[in-house]
Amino acid sequence: MSLTAVMQIPSRHIGLTGIAKSYGAIPAIESITLDIARGEFLSILGPSGCGKSTLLMIMAGLVQPSSGTIEVEKRRVTKPLTDIGIAFQQDLLFDWRTVLGNVMIQADMRGLDRNVARHKAERLLERVGLKGFENRRPWELSGGERQRVALCRALLHGASILLMDEPFGALDALTREHMNMHLQNLWIAERPTAVMVTHSISEAVFLSDRVIVLSPRPSRSVFELEIALPRPRTLTMRDSSEFVRFQHRLREAIDARQAVGTVLP
Amino acid sequence: MNDLLAKIGYPIAVLVAILAVWQWGADKSLFPSYILPAPSVVALRTSATLSVMFDHAVVTTMEILLGFGLAVVLGVFLAWMIAFVRVFEQAFYPWLVFIQVLPKVALGPLLVVWIGVGFLPKILISFLLAFFPIMIDTLVGLKSVPRDYIFLLRSMGAGPLKRFWRFQLPYALPHIFASLKVGITLAAVGAIVGEFIGADKGLGYVLIVATGTMDTTLLFVALVWISLLSLLLFAMVGLFERIFVSWHAVARHAELRDTV
Repeated sequence: MSLTAVMQIPSRHIGLTGIAKSYGAIPAIESITLDIARGEFLSILGPSGCGKSTLLMIMAGLVQPSSGTIEVEKRRVTKPLTDIGIAFQQDLLFDWRTVLGNVMIQADMRGLDRNVARHKAERLLERVGLKGFENRRPWELSGGERQRVALCRALLHGASILLMDEPFGALDALTREHMNMHLQNLWIAERPTAVMVTHSISEAVFLSDRVIVLSPRPSRSVFELEIALPRPRTLTMRDSSEFVRFQHRLREAIDARQAVGTVLP
Repeated sequence: MNDLLAKIGYPIAVLVAILAVWQWGADKSLFPSYILPAPSVVALRTSATLSVMFDHAVVTTMEILLGFGLAVVLGVFLAWMIAFVRVFEQAFYPWLVFIQVLPKVALGPLLVVWIGVGFLPKILISFLLAFFPIMIDTLVGLKSVPRDYIFLLRSMGAGPLKRFWRFQLPYALPHIFASLKVGITLAAVGAIVGEFIGADKGLGYVLIVATGTMDTTLLFVALVWISLLSLLLFAMVGLFERIFVSWHAVARHAELRDTV
């Protein structure tokens, strides 16, 4: 396992071309063209309501764009993708299932071999520090623990794409930092192509190979930044001058767009 | 110990007090027995008529259970169709809302004209009364599923049937059980009203006969049976609820505990 930054030959895994989405007469996404490499961790940063989540759902084939095309593995997406795992801001656990049962939903819905899947589920739960929680019920867990279960569920079937819609948006700052570590561990172990929508600049820098910044609505991609930090990243790295510099550049890009957006219509 | 006293002891004390006053009033002849027979008289008559009344109760119970069962199956099925087939919703939902506000028991006499005074019209009236609340509440439960859950399930490639059985139905179960509790009492009302309209057996029939002959004691005996039967049926639904949605009660309880 390579512990340094992504060194493999970048091959395009997901390709968005001229994606636009409007609701009635209101444009939400203006035009986004974006290539995502296999195994890359990409974060999408932007102000609230800029259509980040919509963009993610378009990538998943769950929302149809008004125009533009999405390609995954060079094939055009026209219906919901199934070779993906999704995590939402809400953990969306099923109260009537145990922790293990919640991870296993993925296997049950897909009709995977239950024994193999259970083995994998137990391994994933162990990796995020939930060994011994298998038979607990969701309401017995904290918010961070619940979201870890949701991440394990998203990864159970070894999908090549992991989409996350502000997965830690509902958690407090300290829990969030821990969750970032857990997510990094899972991502390094499973190595899916990951796309995460987030509000948090430090989270984006910490986890990503590349961050794109969207403008306020109607959103366009206005800034892109490679995060050339070695992996695995540690919580103390957040205080390093390099890390802070990356954060600063993203902050500037966001603020610049918002100022321009308000002054010039 | 104090809790037990408050929970069971106090209500029983109220019952005993009412019965005592009632019995005392009857003994003193404060009211004529054809208006209000003494509890002791009702009790004696109840034990004397046990086997006859039991047969009537069985008939009524069967009507209620069949009417209710039909209402559950059709109510849940139709709610599913309406929730997931758009044409169905557009075509049927306005009518269902319209029928919902009609007094269904008014259809009783018509049912008797159509299919006679046998077992069937009672089942149908019972069904009609229980069906609407069950269907509407189930529909509300099925439709209250947040969009992201549906996205999640679709990304798992689950078809509509699998989504229904593994997710939407369990998700709606708390709603469904709330409606079943309303439904079972309405099903009892339906069966008894059906027996009022025309029957030769059943607890509703006993009520009509007792009224016709001014046999107030028998009227009370029938009321005791009807009360106990309703209570039993309601408790049964409650028991099923505890078995099938125990997770819901506990989850809710945990949430409440956290907020306090």
